Amino acid sequence: MTTQTIATSDRIEKAQPGWVKLLDMSDRALAVLLLTPAAVLLALIIVYPVLRLGYTSFFSLSLTSGLPAEFVGFENYQLMFTDPVFWETTWNTVLITLITVPGALIVGMALALLANLPFGVQWPVRLSLLIPWALPLSFAGLIFAWFFHSEYGVVNDVLARFGIQGVIWFNSPNLAFAAICLTIIWKTSSFMALIILAGLQTIPRSLYEAADVDGAGRIRQFLEITLPLLKPAIVVALIFRTITALQTFDIPYMMTGGGPGTSTSTLAMYIHQNTVSFLDLGYGSALAVVMFALSMCVTAVYLRIIRTKE
Amino acid sequence: MNIKPIVGALLSATVLGFSAPAFADTELKVYISSQHQPQVWRKVLDQFEAANPGTKVAIETGGNTSEAQAQYLNTIMSAKDSSLDVLILDVIRPAQFAAAGWTSPFTGKDMSVYLPAYAEANTVDGKVVALPAFADSMFLYYRKDLLEKHGVQPPKTWDELKAAVKKINGAENNPDLQGLSFQGKAIEGAVCTFLLPYWSQGKNLVDNGKLTFDKDAAVKSLKLWKSFVDEGVSKKNIAEVATDDTRKEFQAGNVVFAVNWSYAWAQSQSKDSAVAGKVGVTRLPAVTGGESATCLGGWEWGVSAYSKNQDAAKKLVEYLSSKDASKYMAANGSLLPTYASLYQDADVLKAAPWFADAKQVVETAKPRPVTPRYNEVSEVIRTTVNAVLAGVTTPEDGAAQIEARLRRILR
Repeated sequence: MTTQTIATSDRIEKAQPGWVKLLDMSDRALAVLLLTPAAVLLALIIVYPVLRLGYTSFFSLSLTSGLPAEFVGFENYQLMFTDPVFWETTWNTVLITLITVPGALIVGMALALLANLPFGVQWPVRLSLLIPWALPLSFAGLIFAWFFHSEYGVVNDVLARFGIQGVIWFNSPNLAFAAICLTIIWKTSSFMALIILAGLQTIPRSLYEAADVDGAGRIRQFLEITLPLLKPAIVVALIFRTITALQTFDIPYMMTGGGPGTSTSTLAMYIHQNTVSFLDLGYGSALAVVMFALSMCVTAVYLRIIRTKE
Repeated sequence: MNIKPIVGALLSATVLGFSAPAFADTELKVYISSQHQPQVWRKVLDQFEAANPGTKVAIETGGNTSEAQAQYLNTIMSAKDSSLDVLILDVIRPAQFAAAGWTSPFTGKDMSVYLPAYAEANTVDGKVVALPAFADSMFLYYRKDLLEKHGVQPPKTWDELKAAVKKINGAENNPDLQGLSFQGKAIEGAVCTFLLPYWSQGKNLVDNGKLTFDKDAAVKSLKLWKSFVDEGVSKKNIAEVATDDTRKEFQAGNVVFAVNWSYAWAQSQSKDSAVAGKVGVTRLPAVTGGESATCLGGWEWGVSAYSKNQDAAKKLVEYLSSKDASKYMAANGSLLPTYASLYQDADVLKAAPWFADAKQVVETAKPRPVTPRYNEVSEVIRTTVNAVLAGVTTPEDGAAQIEARLRRILR
C-alpha cells in the first residue's frame, strides 16, 4: 500500500499534466493515433475509389448491354491503343498542359510582381487577382464561349473596331484550341499569382537594400534574389497547375463541346463521355486509370526536382 | 384530478390530426427538361391534382438539350436514386432504358390507341417501356410573305430550295437574311440533319439491328449540307447552330427557310415574334429524284424503376399520355398529338392550322436507329456532321469515319 502511494506521488512530482501523458505512448504511437482519422477519410474517398477503378477497368461492364460484368483482362487497354479518339484526346490534353502551364506561370508571375508593388490601396489589386480564381470553371467557359462567338462575341467586335475581319473561332480546330488555351491561362494565372505573391512577401526587403548598396540593378536583383527564393513557391504552384491541366474538362466542354468534330476534346471529356453518356464503365475506368498514371508520373517528376534542389 | 390522460389524449389527437393527411398525401416528382414548356405541362399536372385529391406533383426541370437531359438521367438512374418518379424521355431512349432496367413496364396496356410509330417506339422486346407524351417530326418552316412577294412556291427538293433562296436573296439584298437555317452543332439534331437527305435517297442506316450503311448516299448527304454553306445559302458559322438558335433566328425574321421541329410554331406566332402570321410549314424537301423523308421525334413518359410510388406514378403517366392531355398540349403548346383523331380536332386546328397536314408527315417519319447503344451512334454521326460543316473533314472522309465507327458499335 505504502509503496504504491510513493510511486504515484513520485510520478506527480514530475509534474505532467494529463494530456502530456499521451506523449508517453511514444512518438510513433501518437502519430498513428493523430493520423488515423485523416487516413481513414483518405482511404474511403481516394484509395478505395482508385482501387475500384483499377478493378473495374479489367471488366467488360456496360449498363447499356443489359449483361452482367465479365472479366476480360487487358481487353479494355488493348482497345484503347487502337482507338484513334483516345490518342487524339490524350494529345490534346498534353498540348493544353504544355501551353497553358508555362503561359499561366508567366502571366501569373507578372501579375504577382505587379500586385507586390507598394500600392496605396491594396484591396482592389488583390480583389482583381482573386476574381478569376474564385469564378467556377464552367462559368468561365460559358462567359468566354460568348466572348469568342463569331456573331455576338466581344472579341470579333473589338477586332472589327480595329478594322480586322473577325473569324469564326469555333469553326477551326486551331482557332478553337487557341481560344480555349487563352481562356485557361486567364482563369488559372490568378491561382499562380496568389501562390507566387505569398512567396514574394516572405522575401525580406533587407536583401534588396543590400543589393542596392552593392549596386545590383533591377534585373539582376530579380534573377539573383527573387527567382531563387521563389523557387519553392513556383514548384508548388506548378505541381497543382499541371495536375489540373491534365484533368482539363470544364472550359473546353462549355466552349466547344470538343468540336469541331473531336479536335478540341480532352482525355477527361472522353472519360466523361464513355462513362456518363455511353455508360461503358469498363472502358471509361481503363481510360481513367491511364489519366491517373499520367498525373502520378508528372507529380513524381516534380517531387524529384524538389528533392534534388534541396 | 389527474390530468395526464387528458394531455395524453390531446397530444395523440394532435399528432394524428397532423399525420393522417401526411400519410394519405403522395408526392410525385416529374422530370421535365426545360426546353419542353414545363409551364404548360404544369397546367396538365394541376388538372391531374384536381382530379386526384391527395396526390401532389412537383416538377423538376433540367437539361435544355436531349444530351444534357440524358447525362443527368444517366447519373441519377445508375445511382438507383429514388427521388424522381416520372421521367420525360426522348423517343431514342426507351431501348437504352429498357436494357438498363430503369423504367417499370406497363403490363396489359393497349398501345393501339396511339399512332403506330409511338406504339412501336415504346415497346421493347414485347414490353411497354413508356407511354407517349407527344409526337414530333422535322418540318420545313418558311416565310410565306417572302415567298409570295417573289412568286416562289414552297420547294419540293433541296435544289429547288437553293434556287428559291438565290432568287429571294438576290432581290431582297439584305445581308442579314439567311437562306436556310439547320442544325450543324454537334447535338442530337445534327443526327437528323445527316439522316434527312440520306433517307431521302431510299437508304436505311440500320435494318434489324444490322448496319446497312450506304457510303455513296452518306457522301451525298454531307456534300449537300456543305454546299449550302459554301454557296452562301446558309451562314458560315452553321457548325455553331443548335436547334433553338434556328428557332430564334427564324423568329427574329432573319431566315427564309428553317428545318425545325413542331415546337417552334407556337413561339413563332407569339406576340414578340417578328414573323407572326407570316409563317408557312410544309414537309421537308427531298433530294432530286428521291422521296421526302423526315426524322421521327417526340418524347415519352416513363416511370422510374426506383420510384417508391409505383402505382401513383403509373396513374399519372396514364393521365399525361391520355387523349385529353394530348389535346391540351397540342392546342396550348403546339405539340403534335399522339392520337390520330386529334389531327382533325377543331380546337387543335384553331391553334395550329397546319396540324391538319402534319399527321401524314408524322406517319411517314423514320425512326433513328433503335439500339441500347444509341448514344454512341448519335455521337459518331453528330461530331462528323459538325466536322464536315466546319470544313475540318471532307464529306468523303466523314462518311468513311461514320461507317468505320458505326461498325464497331453495331457489330
